[in-house]
Amino acid sequence: MADIGSQREEICLSLQSVSKHYGQVKAVDCVNLDVTQREFFSLLGPSGSGKTTLLRIIAGLEQPGDGRVIAGAQDVTSLPPYRRRIGMVFQNFLLFPHKTVSENIIFPLRMQRASRTECDEGLKWALDLLRLGGLGDRYPNELSGGQQQRVSLARGLISRPTLLLLDEPLANLDRELRAEMEVEIRRYQRELNIPFVYVTHNQEEALTMSDRIAIMRNGVFEQVGAREEVYTKPETAFVASFIGESNHFDGKAIDTGATDMKIEWHGKTFIAPRQSDISPGDSVRFSVKCEDVDIVAGGRAKNAPEFNQVTGRLRDIIFKGQTANYIVETQDKSEIVASQGPRGVDVKIGDDVVAQWSTSAGMGFKI
Amino acid sequence: MTNKTSEAIRRLAMAASLVVLYAFLYLPIGYVIYASFSVDTDWPFPPSFTLDGYFDLFESTLYFDALVNSLMVGLGSGTLSALLATAGVIGILRFRSRFRGISVLIFLAPLFVAELLIGISSLAFNAKVLGLSGNMLSAIAANTVEGTAFAFLIVFAQLVRYDWQMDDAAMVFGATPPQVFWEVTLPTIWPSILGAFLISFILGFNNLDISFYNLGAIPTLPSVAWGSLRHGLGPELFALASLTNGLVLVVFAVMYVLMTTGLVRFGYRGT
Amino acid sequence: MSDVAITRRHAGRIRISPFLVLVAPGVVFIFLFLLLPLVVVIVFSFWRTESYNLYPDWNLGNYHALLTEASYRTFLLRSIVGALIASVICLVYAWPVAYFIARHGGRYRLLLVLVLAAPFFTGVILRVVALQGILGPGGLISITMAELGLPPIQGLMYTQNAATLGHVYLYLPFMVTAIYLSLANFEFALLETAKINGAGPFRAFFEVTWPLNWVGSAVGLVLVFIPCLASSITPQFLGGPNATSFGMRLAAQFNEAGTWALGSAMGVVLFLCSLVVIVLMSLTINPRKSGLTARGLD
Repeated sequence: MADIGSQREEICLSLQSVSKHYGQVKAVDCVNLDVTQREFFSLLGPSGSGKTTLLRIIAGLEQPGDGRVIAGAQDVTSLPPYRRRIGMVFQNFLLFPHKTVSENIIFPLRMQRASRTECDEGLKWALDLLRLGGLGDRYPNELSGGQQQRVSLARGLISRPTLLLLDEPLANLDRELRAEMEVEIRRYQRELNIPFVYVTHNQEEALTMSDRIAIMRNGVFEQVGAREEVYTKPETAFVASFIGESNHFDGKAIDTGATDMKIEWHGKTFIAPRQSDISPGDSVRFSVKCEDVDIVAGGRAKNAPEFNQVTGRLRDIIFKGQTANYIVETQDKSEIVASQGPRGVDVKIGDDVVAQWSTSAGMGFKI
Repeated sequence: MTNKTSEAIRRLAMAASLVVLYAFLYLPIGYVIYASFSVDTDWPFPPSFTLDGYFDLFESTLYFDALVNSLMVGLGSGTLSALLATAGVIGILRFRSRFRGISVLIFLAPLFVAELLIGISSLAFNAKVLGLSGNMLSAIAANTVEGTAFAFLIVFAQLVRYDWQMDDAAMVFGATPPQVFWEVTLPTIWPSILGAFLISFILGFNNLDISFYNLGAIPTLPSVAWGSLRHGLGPELFALASLTNGLVLVVFAVMYVLMTTGLVRFGYRGT
Repeated sequence: MSDVAITRRHAGRIRISPFLVLVAPGVVFIFLFLLLPLVVVIVFSFWRTESYNLYPDWNLGNYHALLTEASYRTFLLRSIVGALIASVICLVYAWPVAYFIARHGGRYRLLLVLVLAAPFFTGVILRVVALQGILGPGGLISITMAELGLPPIQGLMYTQNAATLGHVYLYLPFMVTAIYLSLANFEFALLETAKINGAGPFRAFFEVTWPLNWVGSAVGLVLVFIPCLASSITPQFLGGPNATSFGMRLAAQFNEAGTWALGSAMGVVLFLCSLVVIVLMSLTINPRKSGLTARGLD
C-alpha cells in the first residue's frame, strides 16, 4: 500500500518495496514508506511485527533482501551504516561504558573527523539542549535511567543527522519518567526540524508523539495515517483491536441502506455507519470504542432510535482514575465494556443497566 | 538439632578436603622454595641461608641460553595464541554461520590431544614432510596449538557477556569496523586478551613434551631441567623451581586483578 | 504482496563473510599444525623403519608387534589401568573440593580456583622436582626418617603407586576446574526441593547433583585420563623399573631407538584410546542438559 506524504514537504526518507526474509519467515514484506522533513513518524506494532528489523534496515545494520532505501535523494541501500548520516537511540541506551558522558556524546563527531572546536561546540549545544550540564565527566553506570536516555539522545542528535531513529527508547523507563520524556522527545523533534522514525509497541507513546503512525503486523503495514485517523478510523480488524480499547461483536450484515447498515448479533440488531465493502450476508466484526459506549441505569434508559442499546447486568467496575471501565454482562454471557468518567454515574455492581452507543459510531470489518 | 550439626560436619569435611588439597599442592612447592635458599638442600635444617643455588643458575650459560629460548617460545606462542583465539571468539560470537559449532570444536580439540602426541607428530611432520630439523619456529607453532585452545576458553568466558549491539551503535554513529574494534570492543575486552596471552605464554615457557621434540638440540629451561634431574636433585634445580613458581604466581596475581577489576569497572550489558 | 521475491545483487559489492575472515586463521592453523601432523603419524605407522630411515613399505608389521609382543601389551595395559585409577581418584577427591568452592566460596570463588590452578602451569618437570623434594630418596620425608633413626618408607618412590600419586598431583586441578565450572551454573535451590521431598543429603547428591553435573565430571575425566595415559616424565622419575609406561616407550622410539614407524603406530594406538574415551563419555551425555559454560569465572 503506497503512501504519499504531503506534497508541500520534502521527502527525507523513502522505502521502496523493502523486504527481508529469514529463511521462510518474512520479517519485512514489501514495505513502502515516505517520511517527510518535519515528521514524527511512528512504527507501531506487537513484538515480531518486523518494526525493529525495518528500523535496522533504515540504519544500515541489516541489508534488505529486496527493495531500496533512499535517504535524501540518495540510494543508500548498499551503503554501510557508518556512511549514512543518521542518528539512533536504543532501548538499552547502549552508552559506551568505558567512556564518560562527554566522550559518549561527541563520539559521532569524532568519527566524522570534526575539529576540536566543532566537538566542543557540539558538546556544549547537546548538553544544554538535553539539560545534562555538570554530568559531562560521569560514567554511564553512575547515571539514572532517565539521564542515560538523555545522554543517548544527545549522542544521537549532536551531529545534526538527516534523520533520527528511535528503537523503543522509553521501554526501560518507569511510567512517570516515560510520560515526561514523551513530551520532551516531541519537543526536540519540533525544535530541530529533523524527521524522527520511532519504533514502539506502546500505542500511548505513538499517539502522544507522532504526526503519522504505521501499524505493522507480520512484516506488513496494516494501516498508515495521521494519528487521529488511525485511532478513529481503523481500516482493519487488527488495527481496531490494537489501538484503543474496543468492543468487538462478531455478527452478520443483514441489510445495507444509503447511509447505514444493519448487523445482527446474538439475536439483536445494531445500526452502524454504512461501509461500501460490506454487503448483506457478509460475516462482520463490528468494533466500537469503549469510550463511545455509555452506561445508563436500567430504569432510566430511554428508548432512542439514534442509539444501539443492549441490556445487561453490571458485573464489575474497574477504576482507572480519570476514567472507569464498566463491565456489563449480557444475558448470553457476552461482555460489553464502557469507558467513561466515573462522576455522575450512579450505578453499582449487580444493577441492571443499559449499554448504549450512537448508531453513527463504530466500524465493521469483513471476516 | 542433629540436622544442623551433621550439616556443619559435612561442610567442615569439605572445607578440610580443600585445605588438604592446598597443602598437598603447595607443600612440595613451599619446601622447594625454602630449601633453595639453604646451604644443604638435602636436609635444610637448621635453616642456613645462602644464594649459592641461584648464583649457579645465573652463571650457567646453558641455563641462560635455555632461558632465552624458553622466553622466545613463550612470547611467540603466547602472542600468536592470543591473536588467533581472540579473532576466533569474536567471529564465532558476533556473526552467524553454520560453521560455528564445528569451529568451536576445532579450537578446543587440542585440549583433548596429549602433549606427547602433539610433540612427536610435529616432529614427524617437520622432519619427514617439511624436511626441517629442530628449530624455534616449529616449536612456537606447535605450542601455539595448545595455547590457542586455552586462550580461546579465556577470551570466550568474557566475550559471552559482551553486548554486541554496542558495536551496532558505534557503526551507526560513523565508526568503520576497525574503528569500532579500537574504540569500543577492545577497551572493554582487553583484560581477557591479556589474560589469554599470559596463560599461553606460561604454557609455552614451561612446556616440555611439545617443545622438546620440535627443538632438537636447542635447550629450553624444562629440557635442561629434565637433563639435570636425571642426575638427581640439586640446588640449581630448586632455585629454578622457585623462580618459576614465583613467575607463575605473579602471572596469576595479575590474572586475578584483571578478572576482578577489569570486569567490574568496564561493566557489561549495561546493568 | 509480492509473489515471488526476485533477488538482486547489490551492484558491485562482494560480501566476504566476516566470520570467515576472523575464524579461518585459527582453524586453519590448528588444522595445519595439529591435524595434518596426526595424519602424517597415521601414515608412518604403516611404514617401516630400518637403520634410522623410514621406508614407505605399507605393512601392518608395527601393529602386529604391538599386539603380539607381551611387553608392549603390558605397557599399554599398565598405562590404561594407571590412568583409570588416577582419573577415578581425581574424580572422587575433586568433588568435595569443587562443591565447597562453588557452594560456600562466596566472593572468594575465583581466588580459590586460581590458587588451585596455578601450580599446573609450572610445567611437568618442575612439579616432579617438587614431588621428589618431598617423596624422593633425598627428599624431606626420607631424610626425616633417617634423622629420626627410622627405616625409610617403602613404596614412597619408584613404584607404580608413586607414579599414580604423581599423576593425581599433576592433574587434579583440571578435574576440580571442570566440575567447578559445571557447579557454578548449577541451581543449588534444587537441593532444597529434594530435601523437602524427603531426600537425605547423600540421596540428594546422587539423585540431583551428580546427574545434573555429569558433564563436568565427564569432561574432567577425559581431561585427566588423556594426559595420564600418555605420561612419560612422571613414570620415568617416580615410577620404578617396573613402572615403564606406554608413553615412555613411545618417547623412546623417537629418541634413542629411532624407530619412528613403530613409534607412530604407538602414537596411533594412544590416539585411538583417547578417542574411545571421548566417544564413550560423550555418549553418556544427554544433550538436553545445559552443558559446560564459563560463566562461573566471576
